Amino acid sequence: MTALQTEAALPDTAQIVPPPKKKSRLVGTTSWYVVALFICAVMVVPLLWMITIGLKSRTAVFDIPPKLLPHEFHWSNFIKGPETIHFPRLFLNSMIITTLSVLGGVMTAMMAGYALARLRFPGRKLWFYLFVGSMLLPGVVGLIPLFQMYKSIGWYDTWLPLIVPAFLGGNPLFIFLARQYFLAIPYSIDEAAKIDGAGHLRIFVSVMLPLTRPAWLTMAILAFQASWNDFLNPLVYLYSSGKWPLSVGMASFISPFAGKTPDWSYYMATNLLYMLPPLIIFFAAQRYFIQGLGALGSTNQK
Amino acid sequence: MNSVSLGGSTTKRRSRRGGMSRNAGSDVKAAYLFIAPAVIGFLVFVGYPLIRSFYLALTKYNGLTDPVFVGLGNFRRLFTTDPAFWPALRATGYLVLLYVPLSLILGLALAMFCNQRFAGVRIVRTLAYLPVVLPAVATITLWKFMLDPQVGLLNTILDRLGLPTSLWLQGPSTAMPSVVLVMLWGVGGTMIIFLAALQSVPTELYEAARVDGAGPWSVFFRITLPMISPIVLLQVILQTTAALQTFNQPKILTGGGPGFSTNVLMLSIYNNGFPTLGRIPQLGYASAQVWVLFIIIIAVIALTAKFSSLWTYSDSTSD
Repeated sequence: MTALQTEAALPDTAQIVPPPKKKSRLVGTTSWYVVALFICAVMVVPLLWMITIGLKSRTAVFDIPPKLLPHEFHWSNFIKGPETIHFPRLFLNSMIITTLSVLGGVMTAMMAGYALARLRFPGRKLWFYLFVGSMLLPGVVGLIPLFQMYKSIGWYDTWLPLIVPAFLGGNPLFIFLARQYFLAIPYSIDEAAKIDGAGHLRIFVSVMLPLTRPAWLTMAILAFQASWNDFLNPLVYLYSSGKWPLSVGMASFISPFAGKTPDWSYYMATNLLYMLPPLIIFFAAQRYFIQGLGALGSTNQK
Repeated sequence: MNSVSLGGSTTKRRSRRGGMSRNAGSDVKAAYLFIAPAVIGFLVFVGYPLIRSFYLALTKYNGLTDPVFVGLGNFRRLFTTDPAFWPALRATGYLVLLYVPLSLILGLALAMFCNQRFAGVRIVRTLAYLPVVLPAVATITLWKFMLDPQVGLLNTILDRLGLPTSLWLQGPSTAMPSVVLVMLWGVGGTMIIFLAALQSVPTELYEAARVDGAGPWSVFFRITLPMISPIVLLQVILQTTAALQTFNQPKILTGGGPGFSTNVLMLSIYNNGFPTLGRIPQLGYASAQVWVLFIIIIAVIALTAKFSSLWTYSDSTSD
């Protein structure tokens, strides 16, 4: 930390500090950029390589020795690949499942958070601790009983097990985050609204929701990511390939099946499309990603 | 972010004032309506399965006929006769011991690296976090191909540089480290949380240390590490519990092989409870394995929390 000076501070110190120090700062800066370049390469090169595989012909992928760049560009992979994998259908399935579970998860967590933070009722503390405690409960504990339960009520091989839990408070982490945000809003605001004759529903919808926008946007992004990326639950609950979301559909395409080698160039071209929605959301709403996780860090530190 | 940490003090202020009690009746009714979905969800999706799963662990159950109570029979079978259980436990332990320390050290190093003022640091931060954003299946499958011994990128690069290549996921001894390598690509998740912790350390402390002529190592061990130790503790617990439940990577990358080398507990539970077509599910037996995993997780959390006072710093004035 001590070596960090802003650019503007550099000339000042350079006059005071003897030459060897200046040289060591230069070395420090250079080595920082060398390491930075390395980190960036580790993160980006696999993705670039994925694109080159997506552009190679189906046989060129298996050339030995492998070539880093494709000889001829097979743009058609980006059409034929998604077709072969049934990408449009998987994408639509993922979209429906994700949209609904984001909606449900955020809505019910905000409601619970509001009650826990701003309303008084017997059992408030108890429920708060139960929700927080359930954050530490491993998801796998419920897997088998829930699987049997869904089967007995005819929900097996439907999207309901992936959507309905979200509408019932789904993620306790969101309840916790919502409560933290609601606690930070001054109570004079509710008082004023109450004097104006607003009920709790009015206060929640027209006062609290606009005020807590960063909170529910963060939650929506986290919920989107969780649902879009979920693999185990759809794998367990969905049997017919027509109902699969992208995660299961993509994974099944490359799993060794009947000794057939998967079509990697088709796969990688489609994989890029699979990555795009979360990528777009990330770059559009980066602030909320970082903020949400940062908030988690700082609240827990307290 | 600042507003969030205010939460604690607001509660205190609030409980002191009794203004709300005027509308206590309507408050209670509204509160129950607002919290009802979450409460129902908790009872149905957390409470019931927890109890039911404990009962199933004590039964023989194939999902079709009624469960038959067998007491601790499943556990006896796990620990004495099942040839796959100890390897699964060992594989899980190996994964945790390899992944958690590396993830914490690399995550912290990356956070400190990205907590410096250089032009372009935001780009590094963003790119380091990028893999976390991408769908797990997409990155895992990408790495599966990257690690292919014949045509994968890693061996291609190693070969061009004249370095020895590896079998990666296909070698019995390299499979697990390769799985961990894939998991570590997402170390940006750890970095972000450490970064938030580092930024909350008061800068006066660093200035004071500089005035006293402290070197970078003593600054790190005497100031940075103690100040962020509560977050380190939280990370140890969260990462260990998550690592104990690793499923996606071994399922997609290796399927548990070669041999039993990457057949972690979660995979074993999945294969017993949800076997491939034609085999009978052993839901009672899988539930017993779930409870072994659950008890390990509880033990890890309890032990980490118990011994945390030895190495975490807490500001005694804040309580």
